[in-house]
Amino acid sequence: MPVKTGIFLCDCGGSLRNIDFPKIGENLVDLKDVAFVDISHNLCLEEGTKAITSRILTENINRVVIAACSPQLCERNFAGLLEKLRLNPNLLSLANIREQCSWAHKGDVTGKALELITMAVDRAQLLQPVETTKVVVNNEVLVVGGGFCGMKLSLELSQLGIRTTLMEREPTLGGKLKKLEGFYSSQREAMIKAVEKAENIEILTSAEVTGVEGKIGDFRVRIRRGTKEILRTFGAIVFATGYKTEVAAGDFPLKPGVNIISQERLAELLQDPSLGTRPENIGFILDLSDENSRLPTLATLNSALTVKKRWGSEVYVLCKNVKVDSEGVEKLYREAREQGVMFLKFDEKPRISADDGRVKIEAKDILVGQEVTLTCNLVVAEEKFLPTEGTKDLSSLLKLRTDSQGFYQEENVHLYPVASERKGIYFSGNCRGDLDLGRVLTDISSAVARIRELLSPGGIVAEVDRVKVDPQKCVACLTCIRACPHNAVQLVQIDSEKVAADIPQLACDRCGICAAICPAKAIKFEGYSDDQILAQIEAIGVS
Amino acid sequence: MNGKIVAFCCEHSAYLAADAAGKQGLHYPENLRVIRVPCAGRVDIIHILKAVEENATAVLVLACEDGLCQHLTGNVRAKERVKYSETLLKEVGIDGKRVGMFNLAANAPHKFIRIINKMNEMIKEQGEGK
Repeated sequence: MPVKTGIFLCDCGGSLRNIDFPKIGENLVDLKDVAFVDISHNLCLEEGTKAITSRILTENINRVVIAACSPQLCERNFAGLLEKLRLNPNLLSLANIREQCSWAHKGDVTGKALELITMAVDRAQLLQPVETTKVVVNNEVLVVGGGFCGMKLSLELSQLGIRTTLMEREPTLGGKLKKLEGFYSSQREAMIKAVEKAENIEILTSAEVTGVEGKIGDFRVRIRRGTKEILRTFGAIVFATGYKTEVAAGDFPLKPGVNIISQERLAELLQDPSLGTRPENIGFILDLSDENSRLPTLATLNSALTVKKRWGSEVYVLCKNVKVDSEGVEKLYREAREQGVMFLKFDEKPRISADDGRVKIEAKDILVGQEVTLTCNLVVAEEKFLPTEGTKDLSSLLKLRTDSQGFYQEENVHLYPVASERKGIYFSGNCRGDLDLGRVLTDISSAVARIRELLSPGGIVAEVDRVKVDPQKCVACLTCIRACPHNAVQLVQIDSEKVAADIPQLACDRCGICAAICPAKAIKFEGYSDDQILAQIEAIGVS
Repeated sequence: MNGKIVAFCCEHSAYLAADAAGKQGLHYPENLRVIRVPCAGRVDIIHILKAVEENATAVLVLACEDGLCQHLTGNVRAKERVKYSETLLKEVGIDGKRVGMFNLAANAPHKFIRIINKMNEMIKEQGEGK
């Protein structure tokens, strides 16, 4: 079909006064394959939509160039309009004559505007339609990790009618809930019961992921349960593998033992009074190595308060600055002080030594300005917040990044906090960093929203051949497979002899890195293909 | 296209910065031609060289800040390609300074203006902007 281009110019309600629209119109009509040039005032309003609709229908054009405001503002609207008119939305080319032309310069900019539109016209003539289809995918979800985050996620997903498999490495559900005081311990039983009762949730305990293949909508996951290995398929995977804490052995001068215990051990003692006797004095130590992290602080405050209330001991917390940046922690801190927990702020490292079966702590309190000596029956050591075991193995198995501390790295901390760089794989909760309850709940909601969007009934809308490998040109050098940041490219058998790269459209995020890097120029990125970009460059300065 | 600057702008950062400059009424010289790309990693050496061949005085690749690329490695790859095209240009006796790579964020229209102005000053100094 011969190319027939229609050009619409918008003067933004007559406000773009430094562009001479009639002059541009005269110049553009003479370009190759241009059917008409229309000038209107407000293409984004209803009158503009009507004008475009009637013109496209009567002239029967097959390329549309619109010179208006930034594509960031109008591209989606106009593409939607073309779709309604049964014209492929990829046949639209935009020229930004407002933000990057009229508004950016003083004086007459007709020349530049004309050039920008010519660039868009030349690009438009090379555009090819990109069809979309609905791909029906497997809409089961795998949640890895049966702690608070994993259970809550599964519950929310199951309420939306999404079949969920909840996997836990340990023989029972609960994760860290088993070891935490305060709010968390009160939730444990109720949550486990709710998960067990829910219709859409299948629970796999004592199970571990040993392999993941495939792409979004069709992940083939190998799961090991005891000696057996099973193969299951899922549409999406969420990791909620949590964290672990460890007493920082190098930072603490004395070895953990009867008098020096970890947070976890204290929680056990609190839950089961038969394990030990009530200590007269108890000291908590924070900030020994450096600034403390959010969760260990929260655990310390919670335990200190519980000890004070339940045992009535003298409770001291040695710290530098208590991190109260999560919701409700300031209140918790105040409550602890009101109940009689004493906070001592040190600047120099406290000296800790054994003293006749007890622990002696000497420190200078910067608020009082005096040396303080405490002799405690029990000292609860500072803990470090670390990624859980297996994070490293899983991340290398899935080809996903980890951050400098070894936690899973989200794709973009601000924009897509729960997404990984691979489509269809998400992280939620403390496996991606130090998060308090409020933040974990936000994570869960965003992961559920993303999965819901992904696995909506009726299938996922996907573009066909937006980024396409020409199997005849491809020499299977694997450059694109190594370069793809989203692990989207795969190798497929074309016929008995030939293998070539293939890009499943659902897994592709459309960056074009592969198209630029391919040594054989076998990958074409429709809309930003080499000839379309080069045509724009050639159009500069022609008119 | 003598005297013109061709800028390949990542649609996640530099293109938005250019839009923001217009919205805030920050003016810059008229000789800039922006080509929108989905990621700076899409810009190939041939695109840069073509622009030089078509007599652009300067070619810029404007990408996201280090470590903030939407596609993780796009800006790093763009930097490598710009470096390589510089060496190619030097080999055929063209000043490699005509090709430049800069990182900026979407909310940095002032930085965008600074880059464009700096490039224009350089053009003037070399007497090529006539």
